[in-house]
Amino acid sequence: MTSINAISKLDFSALTAKQFSLALDVERVRSDFPILSTDIYGKRLIYLDNGASAQKPRQVTDAVREAYETYYSNVHRGAHYLSQRSTDAFEEARSTIQRFINAPSDKNIIFTQNVTAAINLVAASWGRKFLKAGDEVLITEMEHHANIVPWHMLREELGISLKVVPITDDGLFRLDDYELALGPATKLVAITECSNVLGTKIPIKRVVELAHARNIPVLVDGAQGIVHQPVDVQDLDCDFYAFTGHKLYGPSGIGVLYGRSELLEAMPPYQGGGDMIEHVSFDGVTYAEPPYRFEAGTPPIVQAIGLGAAVRYVDRLGMDRIHAHEQALLAYANTRLAEIEGFRFIGTAPEKAAIISFLIDGLHPFDVAAVLDRQGVAVRVGQHCAEPLMDRLGIEGTVRASFGLYNCFDEIDKLAAALEKAKELLT
Amino acid sequence: MSIDKKMPRFNEFVEALETIDDEDLRFEYIIDIGKKSAAVNFSDEWKSDNNLMHGCMSKVWIVDHEENGYHNFFGASDAIIVKGLVSMMVQSFSGLTANELEQLNEDYVRKLNLGALTTQRQVGMLAMLEHMKKLARIGGNIAK
Repeated sequence: MTSINAISKLDFSALTAKQFSLALDVERVRSDFPILSTDIYGKRLIYLDNGASAQKPRQVTDAVREAYETYYSNVHRGAHYLSQRSTDAFEEARSTIQRFINAPSDKNIIFTQNVTAAINLVAASWGRKFLKAGDEVLITEMEHHANIVPWHMLREELGISLKVVPITDDGLFRLDDYELALGPATKLVAITECSNVLGTKIPIKRVVELAHARNIPVLVDGAQGIVHQPVDVQDLDCDFYAFTGHKLYGPSGIGVLYGRSELLEAMPPYQGGGDMIEHVSFDGVTYAEPPYRFEAGTPPIVQAIGLGAAVRYVDRLGMDRIHAHEQALLAYANTRLAEIEGFRFIGTAPEKAAIISFLIDGLHPFDVAAVLDRQGVAVRVGQHCAEPLMDRLGIEGTVRASFGLYNCFDEIDKLAAALEKAKELLT
Repeated sequence: MSIDKKMPRFNEFVEALETIDDEDLRFEYIIDIGKKSAAVNFSDEWKSDNNLMHGCMSKVWIVDHEENGYHNFFGASDAIIVKGLVSMMVQSFSGLTANELEQLNEDYVRKLNLGALTTQRQVGMLAMLEHMKKLARIGGNIAK
């Protein structure tokens, strides 16, 4: 138990050269996040709800404040100085994101409100144009409602059907089950990169290869993927990749849809309004090229600039380092929490992101989370917008601890202690 | 007679909570009520979908037995803390008429947790009160 704490804090000599190069200076990182010094009910906050939304470093809040205080204006419109500066900052954020995910061009980057909006955009635009009755959209049993409901809506509207790839009882996604599910009627694979409940990572590159061999495009829900590991959309070769800013240490209200150029160019607009047109008369409209075709109205300007700052922040730390740090946290938490009598992991796939869903025998997850809260430990509890997965696993909900780049080993010890306290109080 | 005087259990709970001057201990007091109420007989047949309150994060069942215009409530939950809350609610506000129940507002609910609960749970308690009023308006939902 002491070994990992010791290595993380003091004994860097025990690390191999590679591990050393990937070590994250967590103390320094934490100082970028003022909220982590907050006390909750008189106890120091331990924030383990990063899967729901991550906290923001000063670099992000500073960028947001700077934008509002020194150069804010609407974008793509005015001929004046501030409008030009806002437009430059907004478009620079797009380019930062393009480089971060290695998209071929910033024209592939559409700003949306969040992942939900991004998937709805694909469903409403690409789906309505290219899907018809009888076509299948393939998803998995682990999807978030955001990657289920938009397809249900198309099912009601167009008569398409949803086909669901099963997972194993321990939350493993099996490629052979997936391959079996790909059929002649499959016209789209819409799949999570990482389960928000189980932490299970899906081998997206293989998923895409198998789909593309059958000429099926793939949409990736990267909400829980991009926050934990490097993403290269060209290497993954996916057709759409959606992620949200607020889980990536950026502002809320801003998300991204990456789309392959030939698909975006063939897609009709999703919403109509200002900024997405080339010409408008009372007789007709010609639409702008992507990405603007899909960004009707004034966009979330400062949120996009804030997301650009968040991306620069994690990029400077290095997604490899963040990944290595979180994997070390996960390994330690797996060992430490298993020592608690009655602790039950929900989801034990070998390839996981730093997300642990659990139950404690005999205790209701809401009671556990409430006692943790009183001790300053923030976790999520419930169905996690994944009701079909709960049904599949035969449970009503879980407690979920999801880790981020600023979490440390001490906090896992405190989580374990808080759970022992919950057991003591509730039994 | 003022309505407060018709709610002896409510007054006992409020007095107990006011005596405890530490939020953590108030929270533990509510847990304790939840644990004790586990022993109180809430018939399994009452745990039906019909008696389930909708919109709660954990399951909450409330039944109302009306006798001569007075309403006696019984409640249960699958979570201990919520069981503590629903137990305080049904004990506090039993023995009133439908009209008297209508006089109760969020101030009464707030007195029953005194800051020991998150806003979400206070909203949940308020929803329990509204549910109880609704049951009373239709004249109860069980025969005893």
